[in-house]
Amino acid sequence: MADSIKCPVCGENNPAGQEFCQYCQSRLQPITGSLKSPDAPIRPGQAPTKKNTAELEPVLPQWLRDARDSSRNNEDEDVPQSSQKTGKTRPAAPAEDLLAGLQSQSSDGDEDEMPDWLASITGTAPTPKKNQAESSEARRVELGDKNDFAQEETSDEDTPSWLAGLTENKAQANEKDELTDWFRNADDFKPAEQPAKTPPADDTPDWLRRMATADEDTGKAQPPSFEASANDFPPPAPETPDWLRGIEDKAQSVDSAVFAESTAGESEAFDPLSSGELPAWLNDQAENAAKRAQDTTPKWLKNEEAGMPATGELPAWLSSSEDTVPLPPVSQKNADALGDLPDWLKASAPQTSIFEQPEETPAAEVEPAEASFDSPDWLNAFKDAETFASDEPAPALEKDIPFDAPPAFAGDSQASATDNLFTEMPDWLSSAMELPASSSPTPITNADAIAPGELPSWVQAMRPVDAPLPSPFSSFSSDQTLESRGALAGLQGVLPAAPGFTPTSKPKAYSIRLQATDEQQAHAALLEQILAAETAPVPIASYSSLILRASRGLRWFLFFVIFAAVTFGLSVGAPIFSMPLGVPREIGGALNVARSIPENAPVLVAMDYEASRVGEMEVAAAPFFDQMILLKHPRLTFISTNETGSVLTERFISGPLAGHNYENRITYLNLGYLPGGQLGIRAFSLNPRAASPLDMSLQPAWASAPLEGVATLSQFAALVLVTDSADAARVWIEQTESTRGEIPVVVISSAQAAPMIQPYFDSQQINGVVAGLYGGAVFEQNNAGRPGVARNYWDAYSLGMLLAMSLALGGGLWNLALGLRDRASAREAK
Amino acid sequence: MIFQPDLITGVISFIFTLLIFSYLIGDNPLFRIAVYIFVGVSAGYVAAIALWQVIVPRLAYPLVFGSMNEKIFAAIPLLGSLFILLKVSSRMAGVARMTMAFLVGTGAAVIVAGAVMGTLIPQVGATINFFDLNAAVAVGISKGEAFGNGLVVLFGAIFSLVYFHFGASPKADGSMRRFGLIEIAAWVGRIFIGITLGAIFAGVYAAALTALIERIASIINFFSNLFGNF
Repeated sequence: MADSIKCPVCGENNPAGQEFCQYCQSRLQPITGSLKSPDAPIRPGQAPTKKNTAELEPVLPQWLRDARDSSRNNEDEDVPQSSQKTGKTRPAAPAEDLLAGLQSQSSDGDEDEMPDWLASITGTAPTPKKNQAESSEARRVELGDKNDFAQEETSDEDTPSWLAGLTENKAQANEKDELTDWFRNADDFKPAEQPAKTPPADDTPDWLRRMATADEDTGKAQPPSFEASANDFPPPAPETPDWLRGIEDKAQSVDSAVFAESTAGESEAFDPLSSGELPAWLNDQAENAAKRAQDTTPKWLKNEEAGMPATGELPAWLSSSEDTVPLPPVSQKNADALGDLPDWLKASAPQTSIFEQPEETPAAEVEPAEASFDSPDWLNAFKDAETFASDEPAPALEKDIPFDAPPAFAGDSQASATDNLFTEMPDWLSSAMELPASSSPTPITNADAIAPGELPSWVQAMRPVDAPLPSPFSSFSSDQTLESRGALAGLQGVLPAAPGFTPTSKPKAYSIRLQATDEQQAHAALLEQILAAETAPVPIASYSSLILRASRGLRWFLFFVIFAAVTFGLSVGAPIFSMPLGVPREIGGALNVARSIPENAPVLVAMDYEASRVGEMEVAAAPFFDQMILLKHPRLTFISTNETGSVLTERFISGPLAGHNYENRITYLNLGYLPGGQLGIRAFSLNPRAASPLDMSLQPAWASAPLEGVATLSQFAALVLVTDSADAARVWIEQTESTRGEIPVVVISSAQAAPMIQPYFDSQQINGVVAGLYGGAVFEQNNAGRPGVARNYWDAYSLGMLLAMSLALGGGLWNLALGLRDRASAREAK
Repeated sequence: MIFQPDLITGVISFIFTLLIFSYLIGDNPLFRIAVYIFVGVSAGYVAAIALWQVIVPRLAYPLVFGSMNEKIFAAIPLLGSLFILLKVSSRMAGVARMTMAFLVGTGAAVIVAGAVMGTLIPQVGATINFFDLNAAVAVGISKGEAFGNGLVVLFGAIFSLVYFHFGASPKADGSMRRFGLIEIAAWVGRIFIGITLGAIFAGVYAAALTALIERIASIINFFSNLFGNF
């Protein structure tokens, strides 16, 4: 803040905080009375309050009634015209509004010529022309920065919801307290000798109470310096009525001390029912003032009734409905003229005009007191904004008003009530309606006064309350359907449903006939014939009832022949057929592997065959394992990709190899089932420990003796695949191709899979193949003469194979004979 | 009479063997009973194996007693399994697509890579190596035999492939016939295919005959043991 302020009138420098120029008594501080007075701008979320003052119409002065009547006549015409002119919605005042006539009257005439005092009453916005004519420098001195008000509006608009709620509470508090306590503390101080204090409202938050208490303390510590000057005021002018003087004395005493902290409605000092608590002199003053208010008409009002224009004599404060209007210095003569104003008219005037006690305490001196508050920052921000509003200087006219010095024991509530008296509805009018005419005059109090927190009428007039704007959609369409999806979500009636709407154009007809060439159609017909031939039943001549009966007999015949041959071969004690003498290369390779593996070497055995092949597989595998165990005593590790492989392994160990007394986890280990098919085999070939960490008994497998020293697949001495499926053998060969290294691979397979496994032996991917009973028999022949199951089965097998070859040959010859006969018959038929 | 476990299992085996042999008279309830029992027992056994050898040691045990890494690695297949279980619901079946895609994709990669590296390339190389006479002599095969085997394998492979060439052109009489040389090669290829199928049939017959022999041998042993005990 600058140390000095330059007077815009005389150009002399004044100390900072000086409200009036020391040389020319011009105002240096801006007037922002309306920001803290009951005329304060409306807060977001604050609902306007309707005022029903029509019943007070009989007590209105004549000139006001005339104005009201004229407004009723022109109401319908003037409002739209004025709205079109200004481009703003100017709602007509309610019929029951006491000041409706004033508004209408103001709207009828030219706004530039409208009296200022009337504008302040009706709430008509002041003409901006007057402000624009002012220099920017003077504006800055008197009003502060231009943007201050804009910022305040912006802050109101940007107020969050939670703060809006707080603002509402504040507004509610204003209805009771007239103004928030801290809002006044910025520039007002209470007299130290203030005898009575109105308790704060129950709805007042604690922080407001604390702030009020701090304010009181501050007021006590810093007694107002203007008290002495107020005492120095000259006596009231002789034109001032006594009743007005008495009220003015009260108001002056209160305004000079501090703005009221308590609400007017809850003020006990101004409650008529509790008037007995007031001092006697105060009650007398109030009663006398009330009598005079009803019996005596002010001089200026008499002039008004006589048809004299009152605008010429109206003081400047009446024309300043907003604080943006600078008040010129008022002379003592004007101050005397104001003394004729009744209280209710003063109440309509802005509180911060001439009736506000000039604040002599600079704002800079108040700030330390504010800093002592423990309010949060956001509240300080608001407080600063309102401090600016409350720092408004009192008009210079107040110094000249010859009001009496306020009584030292005037309470705060009384001061607050006086504020209401100056800013709101005239209380004597309300009292006149409530009390019978014959009753004794009621002292003027603000108990029934409208709370100063209520909106001024001109603010209410700017808010659409009763007649909201009609929905623009209703005029276009009756469809009130709200779009809930799509790009038009949220819009109403934008796509009105049109029942019965039918396209006017006929849809174009497209042929559904397949556009195909003759060749394509011929191919399609051929395909259709093929499909029909596949599904059509074809009678087979050979399966006639006679032939079918013969075929069933043939089947029984074949069964009995084979069954008899096998039974005979098994039942005969002496060997019928000799064992095979030669050793095929694939079996020779298996023999080499069985004989060449190291002693006690780990051997991995994959048992992948079905239970139905047990007879053949055990016969084929037993000689190989018997010879290998007998010669090398390998440590066998069994694994299977078949669910039944683990149990078949146990059967194999406990059956054909039972003579070797292999024990689990000592000489052999059953890893059990390896899930995953080819993926499992691939995983096992890459990392056997991770793929199969546990054995069949869920014990750690790789710490057992059979797998000692084995970590990878290539560390096994040999890989033996016992499978009845060529695919199983192929998968093992394929997936272990890159990981098994140079370890030998022997496949012990079923006879049906041998032809498919043979190529792997020819390509040297495996080292030996033992296929079926024939392979087992060959192995038994080369197993040092040890007896085996193959020998027991060999005769039956040989008989069955011989019988099968005979039947196949006989059947072929029979078919050849039938074919020759058919051809001969055909030839004869031709 | 003392009922030993081997006797009981022998009686059961004999009964079920006769039930299966009853198929000679056609499809009958006895055969179906035997098949249903086999299927049910097999399914139960597979479920037990899956529980005690897969779910418990490979999924539940790591989740409960495993380290953090083991738990994480076990949680992944658990999540995939739950996704697959959601296929029971038609609306939630889409959730299993991710898991199924992973399984199919990984399986296809493993299968293709294994087939190429483990079968296709080695078999092509083996077919070529049949004409490596020195290598054949090194393993004890005469050059003539090696060359003859090579020719049989070469022509057998070529003719068998030609047999499956079904491209034909229309003739003047309207019939569709393959090119003459291809027709001859296909006829030779059909012989090779016939021999191969004959060999496979012989192997199937040999396997079935061996199974029959084993079953008859077990019946004989059962009766011999049964009457021998008396």
